[in-house]
Amino acid sequence: MLFLDLTVNGLIMGLFYALMAVGLSMIFGVLRIINFAHGEFFMIGAYTYALIATSFGINPWFTLPLAALGGAILGLVVERLLIRPLYDGYRSWSFVKDEYAVVVTFALSLLLIHLVDKVIGPSPFMGPSLFSMQRISIGPIMLNGQKLISSGVSIFLLISLAIFIKKSLWGKQIQAVAQNRFGAALAGIDPVKTTALIFAIAGGLAALSGALLSPIVNPSPDIGSFPAIKSYVIVVLGGLGSIWGSMFAALILGVLESYFAVYVSYDYRDAFGLLILICVLIFRPNGLAGMKGREI
Amino acid sequence: MRILQLIKLNLSVVVLGLFTLEAFAAEPILIGLSITRSPPGSVIQGTQIKDAMEIYADMINAKGGLLGRPIKLVIEDNQGLPEKGRSAVEKLITRDKVVAVTGAHQSSVCLSEIEVAHRYQTPYVNTNCWADSVRIKGYPEVINTSPYNFIVADSMAETLKAMKVKRVVAFAENTDYGIGLAKGVGEALKRKGSTIDYKFETLDRSSKDFTPAILALKSNPPDVVVLTMLPPAAYIALNQLYEQGVAPSPKTLVYDGAGMADYPDFWQNVKDAGKYMMTIGMYHPDMKMNDLSKQIAVEYKKRTKNDPNRLIYQAVDSLLVITEAIRQAGTTDSAKILDVMRKSKFEGARGLMTFDTFPGVSYQQWAAIPYVNYQLTDVNQAVGKTTLLQGPGMPLNTSKITMPK
Repeated sequence: MLFLDLTVNGLIMGLFYALMAVGLSMIFGVLRIINFAHGEFFMIGAYTYALIATSFGINPWFTLPLAALGGAILGLVVERLLIRPLYDGYRSWSFVKDEYAVVVTFALSLLLIHLVDKVIGPSPFMGPSLFSMQRISIGPIMLNGQKLISSGVSIFLLISLAIFIKKSLWGKQIQAVAQNRFGAALAGIDPVKTTALIFAIAGGLAALSGALLSPIVNPSPDIGSFPAIKSYVIVVLGGLGSIWGSMFAALILGVLESYFAVYVSYDYRDAFGLLILICVLIFRPNGLAGMKGREI
Repeated sequence: MRILQLIKLNLSVVVLGLFTLEAFAAEPILIGLSITRSPPGSVIQGTQIKDAMEIYADMINAKGGLLGRPIKLVIEDNQGLPEKGRSAVEKLITRDKVVAVTGAHQSSVCLSEIEVAHRYQTPYVNTNCWADSVRIKGYPEVINTSPYNFIVADSMAETLKAMKVKRVVAFAENTDYGIGLAKGVGEALKRKGSTIDYKFETLDRSSKDFTPAILALKSNPPDVVVLTMLPPAAYIALNQLYEQGVAPSPKTLVYDGAGMADYPDFWQNVKDAGKYMMTIGMYHPDMKMNDLSKQIAVEYKKRTKNDPNRLIYQAVDSLLVITEAIRQAGTTDSAKILDVMRKSKFEGARGLMTFDTFPGVSYQQWAAIPYVNYQLTDVNQAVGKTTLLQGPGMPLNTSKITMPK
């Protein structure tokens, strides 16, 4: 009974982690950089959702896409103003200044946290629930209505994203740029536009994840650090740049954390994720779904 | 007659003006505030402490200042991080040359800051660090107007014993405050000869999902879940206890040991999960108010549009101890100020403060700090409308406790 409860709760948390992590994974897959401000996209989504819904009395279901749109626009702006100078003018990705990406995204993270802290305030801010029932019993399992609905939305979005990447023209362009930026450019694909699209998708997904979790995690300006750290673990565990790997790894992490908390120690639950990260880096540095390869 | 009155009035205005001018022409007396102004620490607490201390400083300056000099608060942001707190106090003492430091509101930060204050022998008035270890260090520079874990734990244990419960589980955040208080409740229960089956679980305060720890209670819920956690983690734990049907329930109540029910954002963040919660409070509107606390309440409401809570009065009392000690000592010399602080009585916003001299958990602590126990019986209930289970200095009345149906 407890085992079943823990498994379901772990899978639900895993779905939320996945929504965050796939965006980070896509950015890494195409640009080979880690976006240290990814958690703040989550925070912006949570605040956009909570503030618009509560201040203007708009139905939370209509606010959800607005939060995603906010995150996507922020992603586009960040790409245009901060990331594009990294590669603009270069045809080969090997010229990229990695250290610049680390500094600029880390600075952006701090800027957004402090901006929200000063403009909106430091108080935690619980967003409105998409579903009025706080408790739903499914057999022996008790679930929060918001968690249940959010899980459904997450599954739908993750499947849609997978289909988009696999089947659509834009998705194929993203795959091509991720495989070989220079080659993709020679084939007529615009890597700049593709990169901008990836930032928009990553920003939108992270913001949507924040909006969905807003009634559960009581967001405050520094809320982004929690999903961001999980995402870094998941991206490495799943294999850097692998979207499928990230989804799979997110579910595994969610469930394992849940078991670890009860059967080993709750106090070290978050440290457990980092322990997994270290083990993966030692024994399988390419992650669960990453491919072996070396760039020259 | 009327002309004479007018002349008198004008003269007094001129004299008062001259006094004020003299006070403001003089070098200000600097008092250092190390508080959280930016995440990850509690910015809400930092802001409340700053607002309250500014109100009290303005009141003093409006009356001509101290020793003919205005007082000025020098604020440093410690971000709620021990290492930042240490450097903030170092800066305040060595660069700004403050007379005393106050404002701290997180135990782990206090513990690092008092090392610096001790090294420079600068008075340090603890506003809201509850961990007993702050007192046990025995530093003569540290004066405590804050509540302290020992008395809170003792009161909570007394309440649990009076409730005649059999099994209690505490969720403690992984901080000096959280673990200290949870351990303290267990020790207090033993001291009181209680047979309650008590255990505590440590939770990571940065976590957003406490469900696994709560699920473990579902098959055999305890009679009371004690929370020694601060918001926002405490809000999340409270919501998840409710959503899993563990507490509040006809079998289980939540007992909060952080006094969070008077936080301005409490109801916005917990809604139905806050109903039936019992809490220990360091302030309740039914407590006896003196002129100072009434003045502070009016001014605080005017400036912030919020009702005052315990932290506002704690902050005022911290600054009051410093300013009154300077006034009574007639100097800003650290040793003399500390001597006055140890020996004098101070009429603060929460009552008459004196500081113990016995080594241990109440060293240089206002030991007889007033507290209450109350229960929230409705959603969005104002603290003044809650059920008072125990008034300050009164016995606990468990017959008033309401169980959910």
